[in-house]
Amino acid sequence: MRRSIAQRFLQALIVLVGVVLLTFVMLRVVPGNPIETMMGEHADAATVARMTAELGLDQPMHRQFLRYLSSALRGDFGTSYSLGKPVSLLLKSAFRNTLYLALFAALFAWILGVACGLVCAVSKNRLPDRLFLGFSLLGISLPVFMAAMFLQYVLAFKLKWFPISGTDSWRGFVLPAAALGWNSAGQVAQMTRTSLLETLQEDYIETARAKGLGRFGVLVRHALRNAMLPVLTLMAIQFSGLLSGAVITETVFSINGVGRLMVQAISGRDIPLLQGTSLLATSVVILGSLLADCLYSVLDPRIRKEG
Amino acid sequence: MPPGKRRKTEETADLRLQSQLCEEERFWDLMRRMARENRTAVLSFILIVLVVLASLLAPVLTPYDENGMDLMHRLSPPSQDHLLGTDEGGRDELTRLLYGARVSLLIGVVPALLSLILGSALGVIAGYRGGLADAVIMRAADVTLAFPSMLLAMVIMYSLGGGIVNVFLTLTLVNWANVARVVRSRTLALKSSEFVEAARVIGVPEGRIMRRHILPNCLPTLLVLFTLNIPASILTESSLSFLGLGIQPPNASWGLMINTGRQYLYSAPWLCFAPGAAIMLIVLAFNFLGNGLLDVLDPRQRKQ
Amino acid sequence: MEHNTLEVRGLTVCFQTAKGAVRPVDDVSLKIPQGSIVGVVGESGCGKSMTARAVMGLVRSPGKITGGSVTLDGRELTSLPEKERRKLRGAEISMIFQEPMSSLNPVMKVGRQVAEAVRLHTGCSRAEARAKTLAIFREVEIPEPEARYDCYPHELSGGLRQRVLIAMAAVCRPKLLIADEPTTALDVTVEAQILKLLERLRDAGVSVLLISHDLGVIARVCDYVYVMYAGRIVEQAGTGVIFDRPQHPYTRGLFRSVASLREGAETLETIPGVVPNLLRLPAGCSFLMRCPSCPARCENEIPPLAETEPGHAVRCFLAGKEGAT
Repeated sequence: MRRSIAQRFLQALIVLVGVVLLTFVMLRVVPGNPIETMMGEHADAATVARMTAELGLDQPMHRQFLRYLSSALRGDFGTSYSLGKPVSLLLKSAFRNTLYLALFAALFAWILGVACGLVCAVSKNRLPDRLFLGFSLLGISLPVFMAAMFLQYVLAFKLKWFPISGTDSWRGFVLPAAALGWNSAGQVAQMTRTSLLETLQEDYIETARAKGLGRFGVLVRHALRNAMLPVLTLMAIQFSGLLSGAVITETVFSINGVGRLMVQAISGRDIPLLQGTSLLATSVVILGSLLADCLYSVLDPRIRKEG
Repeated sequence: MPPGKRRKTEETADLRLQSQLCEEERFWDLMRRMARENRTAVLSFILIVLVVLASLLAPVLTPYDENGMDLMHRLSPPSQDHLLGTDEGGRDELTRLLYGARVSLLIGVVPALLSLILGSALGVIAGYRGGLADAVIMRAADVTLAFPSMLLAMVIMYSLGGGIVNVFLTLTLVNWANVARVVRSRTLALKSSEFVEAARVIGVPEGRIMRRHILPNCLPTLLVLFTLNIPASILTESSLSFLGLGIQPPNASWGLMINTGRQYLYSAPWLCFAPGAAIMLIVLAFNFLGNGLLDVLDPRQRKQ
Repeated sequence: MEHNTLEVRGLTVCFQTAKGAVRPVDDVSLKIPQGSIVGVVGESGCGKSMTARAVMGLVRSPGKITGGSVTLDGRELTSLPEKERRKLRGAEISMIFQEPMSSLNPVMKVGRQVAEAVRLHTGCSRAEARAKTLAIFREVEIPEPEARYDCYPHELSGGLRQRVLIAMAAVCRPKLLIADEPTTALDVTVEAQILKLLERLRDAGVSVLLISHDLGVIARVCDYVYVMYAGRIVEQAGTGVIFDRPQHPYTRGLFRSVASLREGAETLETIPGVVPNLLRLPAGCSFLMRCPSCPARCENEIPPLAETEPGHAVRCFLAGKEGAT
């Protein structure tokens, strides 16, 4: 098991370097001098030259890449052009907000999703099942921006239960987290339902019944843990989706997070900032899936012994 | 080619043709079965067809012009004249929705098709060749999948610039990796199957095996992926357009309509919620259809 | 008169399907004297397993017990509320299944799975349950019980897993143990050991209902045999009697096909035809389509299960008559 995790770790590292390379190349194939694009047409030649040298853009591509990589390893992602601050500093404060947002959303989605799925599976094809299933379908098909605007319009604007934007208190996080988690909740609910229904067909469930366990005991002690294995994989994938959605939610609710920073970077044509934000986001995704793998092998003894 | 060998080739070709014919018959059987058993999928299909027809027949269905400004009736709420109200330029919202459907559907279908072609080509090569090609392609897929899809789309849109063609390219680059993974695993399974072994033994060239023997057998899976990639593309594009990074006016997709409508969320909420509901419906319909297809074409896959 | 641990009378299980009602168990009666092993034999799909499930009270929806009675030591079970039945399962009646590979929870240590049964029915402490589990592990001859206690199912061989399942079923000293094809998934040497284990349990006073399609297994351990076909009992007799003088054409067919296998005959003798679809059973004898000699009467009249000699009953009009033999 230790070996397979080391292997996964190495693979994750390779992917991470690939991500840096991809963003690096992609942002430098933009036609024209990136400095001129960044500064607009009014830049004077001297400034352009100074900036070009500062960013090392006059050097060959591979040299630039190695330079970026080595300074990134030291935690230096350059200076944001549009905001005039070190990228690492900007990321640090933005990351906190995004992390809170994503964690709240995940908590909301996973608790609600698993609970819904459980109710569905237990009451298969009866009214609660149909009801919750429809509910989860609504969750799956509702785009994040729609959920965000809908919640903002109804609960913040019309009913005034929550602030329209800002993160001064925990109340500011409620609507964004719900909007962001809505989608995942639907997916988790469906997956939990399917997986649980399938698990309940297994032979060992019959054994547990024959042993004298009641319906509830069978569900909690034997079915749930087995059924949660595929759901866990889904959750790891979803974490990446949550970060995608964070871009939208942060924009709608004006939260200063990584996603909003990225939108700012794009509108300000700010390459160092764009690179920093995308690197951070992908690192989180990669770390998340690594974590899920570890957790999976803890929960499933069959995997623990292989590898 | 020695005569014996040629005869063998013909024989396997014959066998393959026969099995394909059976496959085809089986395919329509399965479609019929889905139509019988899965009412939701059928309804979804009908809805999709209706939306396509409505968007094509928009000039006939509505008396208004897509870009006909009417400054006297700006932001008027839904009424008998304007079923879904008017926007900030006094244009009929329903008319814009119908024309917007053309763009949104195109944005769903074209990238789904392109990513299918790119993804299956790379996937089959990775699976069949193995070795270095496999390692390179699959690591590239890993890198692509490591990005939250929106962020990747944003980065690519940034370097390509706005516009509908670039949206196509971006969504293709975002979606290919998933297709490649699935096709690769199918290829690995097919590679060791008897008919591929047989073809290899009698010396059918690699490229031909991939094209004629492996890809046709991936078709059901590809159809499912295609159907499920359409709503994913529509969603990603509408998110991009929502941020103002997608297609540019005067082309109007539903996502872009929401983006412009957002400024009037509190005074004219229908400008956001009408196209929003349209996106939801079409995404839901494609998802239902895709899952219905998955159920009949590839029941094993469904479990995973 | 000897005491019967289990008595089943006229048991009928009905499934409402879209294409009509199906009765996988139709008017089945059987009894198991205390301290004996009784076998039920038949092809797959003949209703053996469903009978076992019905006795356990584990018929899955949409199946339903629609008639008959099941008594355990004289106590009627079919009318018991689910809560009471649950208390009996694992304590007084327990069951082991065909697939030792998939019948154990893959993410739970096997020792704990057995201990769970102990705690469920005795309410004793964790430590006591562990001690009892280790004791039963020793009894069913699991080597190194302490080490095995903390193993996960995938770390054990098929034979060991079946021993664990037997331990789980026997740990509360049930009155009745139902073994549903307990050796089908195992190889021959392990099979012999498992059967010996069942005999030891019988000698300890446990009555065993052994379900199998394998006549060899039945012949080796059973005291009395029921032959099932398409949901009905078609013949019943003591093991010696039935192997010596089978009466029903189906039973004979079964024996012939086994005999031809054993003697290495040129051609394998089989029973012609297939098990009939339960949805389209003939009005008369269900073996009608495959029977080598059936009088016209069989077509619209179900033959009764009639005794041909003491302790030997056959569901065939021709039984005991010269023409049949």
